[in-house]
Amino acid sequence: MAGGDFDSGGGNDRFKKKKYNKGKKVGVRIDMTPMVDVIMLLLTFFMLTTTLATPQVMQINLPKGDEQDKVKVDMGNVLYIRVSDKGNIYFSNGLSTGTEAAPENVAFENLRAKLESLYAKNNNLLMLLKFDRHMKYTVMVDILDEINKAKIERRYSFMKMEEVDTELVKKAGG
Amino acid sequence: MKKARSIKKPGVKIDMTPLVDVIMLLLTFFMLTATFKAEMSENIEVKLPQSVNTDSTKLPEKDVMTLTLTPKGDIYVDVDNFKVRKAVFGNEFGIGVYHPDSTGTVKTEYEQTGKIAGKDVKRKVMVLNKEQFEKTLSDLRLQLKNMTEGKSDFKIVLKGDKDADFGTVEDLMSSLKTTKNTRFSLVTDYRAEKPAGQ
Repeated sequence: MAGGDFDSGGGNDRFKKKKYNKGKKVGVRIDMTPMVDVIMLLLTFFMLTTTLATPQVMQINLPKGDEQDKVKVDMGNVLYIRVSDKGNIYFSNGLSTGTEAAPENVAFENLRAKLESLYAKNNNLLMLLKFDRHMKYTVMVDILDEINKAKIERRYSFMKMEEVDTELVKKAGG
Repeated sequence: MKKARSIKKPGVKIDMTPLVDVIMLLLTFFMLTATFKAEMSENIEVKLPQSVNTDSTKLPEKDVMTLTLTPKGDIYVDVDNFKVRKAVFGNEFGIGVYHPDSTGTVKTEYEQTGKIAGKDVKRKVMVLNKEQFEKTLSDLRLQLKNMTEGKSDFKIVLKGDKDADFGTVEDLMSSLKTTKNTRFSLVTDYRAEKPAGQ
């Protein structure tokens, strides 16, 4: 009988009205709470697992040749940068005569300014880095970073810190 | 009467739509920026040094050979390709460790305590000596070249701990040089212009 009511549209007036009202109700309310819960969970998950600070890299190129391949450089262009085990930096300019000037202590804060002024004086500046084996790795990165900041393009090379160099640095204050 | 009714209405409905919109945006952002690490190939944690780095190169995403230097002076060699690891280390999760000590008397942290950087190891660790280490460096590259028919090559990155000795880096550099790996990168954390010391 109820089905007939629907089809025919006839019958009791009051009954019909009630049915009609129910069917036409428009504002459908969806309860968003469970969805929000799930999304919140997902959000928390991604926020915790994500790593935002991607580390950056510093490019280093070593010379390709063997140890035997000697490159002749004018000693006048050479700047020795020696670093002691304590991380103290010593500059000594090479002299055209083949020797070098006495080491001079350079504070890290002045390193860049010093390099820039030397580079401005001599565009063929070649830095030879001699780091003590007991020096911290972070000092090396700091110094390379300062060289990069001074905009001296790849004009450095690593050299082994010999006994003589260690002595020299020690004499100059260690 | 009408007024009284509307005040008395108990069920307060908050429109959640703007909230959901914002959360959805955040979710999308984090989903897109997220990078995952497989637990087994988890990196060895080191405190990276910081640099301002003017040439702003980012860490390569794939085909990376990572050389990790711990403060104790051990060098771990790892690649991000598990097939290559399987071929060279004999295990998908293999990792090589080498202590560059000229006398060879100093044991690696793994040999002493069975841990890496104070953490338990889930991976298969291969202890290498100088020759084996240098051979491994070449083998890893060769293996990837063979697998991809020479199309891809490992980019070498050096993740050194701040407090590692330069001596280790020097030894590593000479090893890299003998194996003809003359291009590599130092991984650093970003630092804003002024160094911490100033």
